[in-house]
Amino acid sequence: METERTEEYLEAIYKRQLKETPVSTSSLAVDLGVSRPAVTDMLRTLENKGLIDYKTSKGAALTRSGEERALAVIRRHRLWERFLTDVLGMKWDKVHEEACRLEHATSPDIEKGLSGILGDIDTCPHGHSIPDEKGNIKPEKTTLISEFRPLQKVRILAVDNEDPRLLRRIEKLGLRPGAVVTVLKRNKDGLLDIEFQKEKIALDNVTASVLTAEPVIETVLPMEEAEIDLGELPPGESAMIKTCGGGRGSLGRCLSLGFTPGSVIKMVENYRRGPVLVKVHDTEVAIGRQLAEKILVVRKEAS
Amino acid sequence: MENAKGKAITVALAGAPNVGKSTVFNLLTGLSQHVGNWPGKTVEQKTGEFRQGELTMNIVDLPGTYSLTANSAEEQIARDYLVNESPDIVVAVLNAASLERNLYLVAELIELAPRLVIALNMIDVAQQQGIRIDSEALARTLNIPVIPIIARANRGLRELVSQIEHECGTVSGLRDVKHIEYGNEIEGVIDHVAGLLDDGVTAPYPKHWAAMKLLEGDGQINKLVKGRMPAERWPAIESYLRENESAAVTIATLRFEWVGMMMAVAQQKRRIGQVSLTERIDRAATHPILGLLILITVLGAIFWLVFSIGVPIQKFLDVNLIVRAREFIYTLSSMPWWLQGFLADGVLSGAGTVLTFVPILFFFFAAWAFIEDTGYTSRAAFVTDRFMHALGLHGKSCLPLVLGFGCNVPAILGTRIIDSPRARLLTILLTPLVPCTGRMAVVAIIAAAFFGTATVLVSIGIIIFSLLMLVIVGLILNKFVIRGESSALIMEMPLYHVPDLKLIGTVTWQNILAFIKRAGTVILAVSILVWLLSVIPNGNISDSLLADIGKWLEPLGRLMGLNWQMMVALLSSFVAKENTIAALGVILSGGGGDFTQQLKAILSPAAAVAFLVVQVLFIPCVATLSAIRQETGGWRWPAFTLVFQLVLSFSMAILVFQASMLFQSAL
Repeated sequence: METERTEEYLEAIYKRQLKETPVSTSSLAVDLGVSRPAVTDMLRTLENKGLIDYKTSKGAALTRSGEERALAVIRRHRLWERFLTDVLGMKWDKVHEEACRLEHATSPDIEKGLSGILGDIDTCPHGHSIPDEKGNIKPEKTTLISEFRPLQKVRILAVDNEDPRLLRRIEKLGLRPGAVVTVLKRNKDGLLDIEFQKEKIALDNVTASVLTAEPVIETVLPMEEAEIDLGELPPGESAMIKTCGGGRGSLGRCLSLGFTPGSVIKMVENYRRGPVLVKVHDTEVAIGRQLAEKILVVRKEAS
Repeated sequence: MENAKGKAITVALAGAPNVGKSTVFNLLTGLSQHVGNWPGKTVEQKTGEFRQGELTMNIVDLPGTYSLTANSAEEQIARDYLVNESPDIVVAVLNAASLERNLYLVAELIELAPRLVIALNMIDVAQQQGIRIDSEALARTLNIPVIPIIARANRGLRELVSQIEHECGTVSGLRDVKHIEYGNEIEGVIDHVAGLLDDGVTAPYPKHWAAMKLLEGDGQINKLVKGRMPAERWPAIESYLRENESAAVTIATLRFEWVGMMMAVAQQKRRIGQVSLTERIDRAATHPILGLLILITVLGAIFWLVFSIGVPIQKFLDVNLIVRAREFIYTLSSMPWWLQGFLADGVLSGAGTVLTFVPILFFFFAAWAFIEDTGYTSRAAFVTDRFMHALGLHGKSCLPLVLGFGCNVPAILGTRIIDSPRARLLTILLTPLVPCTGRMAVVAIIAAAFFGTATVLVSIGIIIFSLLMLVIVGLILNKFVIRGESSALIMEMPLYHVPDLKLIGTVTWQNILAFIKRAGTVILAVSILVWLLSVIPNGNISDSLLADIGKWLEPLGRLMGLNWQMMVALLSSFVAKENTIAALGVILSGGGGDFTQQLKAILSPAAAVAFLVVQVLFIPCVATLSAIRQETGGWRWPAFTLVFQLVLSFSMAILVFQASMLFQSAL
């Protein structure tokens, strides 16, 4: 019982920390649905165990070991959620509560078994990252869908809420993590218009403020696997940068001017032996030929 | 921070090149600005003051940088300033028309800056490009205030100032800025590096930050840590860094991903297929043939402007001011002869004549600053890169070399834009071979005395000869003298924009001021010295020490057909190139007839050509040498230039004279 409460607290503090540090007593009270004095009491206990740093005036922050504990619980929670939806076929709006109970009664062997069955899945059904067994977690992007500009194409990453009713509503709209939508515009009545599978959907305020998303970056479909150096790219054609060569010094310069792997680069001017002119991250950049020959790219499929 | 009169805060302006940072700086500081150098560096440091009511802002203009990794002196200065001087607030000036590129610097600034305000400049240019930016959304997402401004039109500056004041007034100051999540994997690697370092070895930089910079391959931090860690522990660090070389790429990629996120929130996508004005102009301006023609046209226009307006003014000043003043001094019979000589021949014909070149330089600098502010100079660098490369130079080397036609001194200072140290040194050494206005004036006068209608041809011939020598010398220096790999060009092409006349005025004024200062100090001192040599011991130039030197050099002079007077005239060009004419005037003043007749009496046409050759290639003037010393940080390279050009100029002149003698006797 004691362990369970400790773990619940650590989990709550961890999640809160993504939004505010240090975490205040009052926000924890809201998150956990308990009174503030109770939270204060528990935080003292946790501090004595060395799991958090706690200052009454400011709030709480996880220590290294506290964070490790929190991530271990979160891992078990999210693995269970995945198991419940993917293996047992439960609805995603029901799994959170079940996982809340199961996470505290999971031995290391069961945890291993779960992750074995699930394979290399790294997010929970709601789109949050599952920490690995060493406690490493992929940072999550926290930009809300409502924050994007009109006409931006975005991919839904996660739902930042466990309310079953809200989850059901989102499921009905088909806006599961991974769905790609285009933000259209914000209406006067506060609704956010989006386009999903060629249909216009108006998202209410609550829904729009729990869906996190990332911009869809134009990806390049390699026409041929073969890499060529930038000097070989004909004018007018685009390519994706694979690697930047050159000594450490020129590598640094390339990187800070936006020649990062995965960036799309468009050849503007390329005449024999002279420097080349390319467009990358929306700016034209001139590069000497020597250097261009050290940048390897994959050509973009001609459309 | 508080004093009796009110509040003083230190504000650092940071930003990439071509974002209009200088315009913001000029607007805020006006006439209070002070231009100097960063300590120990040849990078310009500009500071100034802004006062409003109780508030005094000490504004420091950081060098223009794309990032804070020490790839160049500028970047190193910018971040050292942030770490060591900890300004109260940093204003990041961003170009709204290339926000994506500029936000990368912000990504780095939030790791070092105490308080941050973004001045989003050129929103008008962005709008012209069809780019719409929601500055409020950007501010919200970054949690940093964003003030849209149009510095060129002085709009938004007031809001910027009050925002700066507001930020510095809030007690905590520090906002909870949205930092970049590098992820546990990278953080783990960074922590590991930090763990390998002893406490204090990274001071004054924060250890975690320094560890990240080590991973990013930052040369300066690398050197610092290597020097301070026990030697036996360094190999372990180095091998760990090498194993994790890809971390640099991952860090930069994550930063750009963060930037991409900000962009998605703040900037509306541009309609695809829209071709901007810049792109349309660039199709011609960066074309290898068309671009070259455009460059030649632009340069031609500058020279036309300089020679059709600047040169007549110079001549007018010379005749009406300097010559008249000298005549006037000699009419004052109450004045002792030595004072007359000192004023007329020392001060006026030396430093005074040099000053008459101010109008020429004014037009030259102004035209150049104009071209530069339109964004065209990057295109000139691009077009010339392929040629410059053969000489081990950069495309960017072409800019100071062109400036050298006006005056070599600002050209040598102008080499600072070249980021490769090797290419920069080469450019500095080649600059004195660009014939400046002073030398061209001498060429024009002497050629006119001898060649009548062919004067223009001979003058152009000499200039082409001089540039040919520049190419040959460049090839030799690149191949045999200066070691090291030549590094490749990489530079951003700024968008074209309407130039800011105020900024052009400031730049021109600062260049002219520097020139006048030199004329008033170094050139004046040497002018007086030469005059002293010409009057000691008995006031008669033909028995003077100067004549002794000339006569001592006469055997050498004879090889190129020059007598001692011509040698003295040549030597006097060391003070300032145009002094040759003044010196000849003084030396020949004893004989009868006018200047041209006297010149013809002592020079054969072949010798005249030899003289022109030796004169354009002769050792640089004092001011140029002192600029070389300043920029290369020692006497080694000025000494090299001195010896090298002495040998070069004499051997070329001897060659020309002897060849023409042979040719004549063959006829």
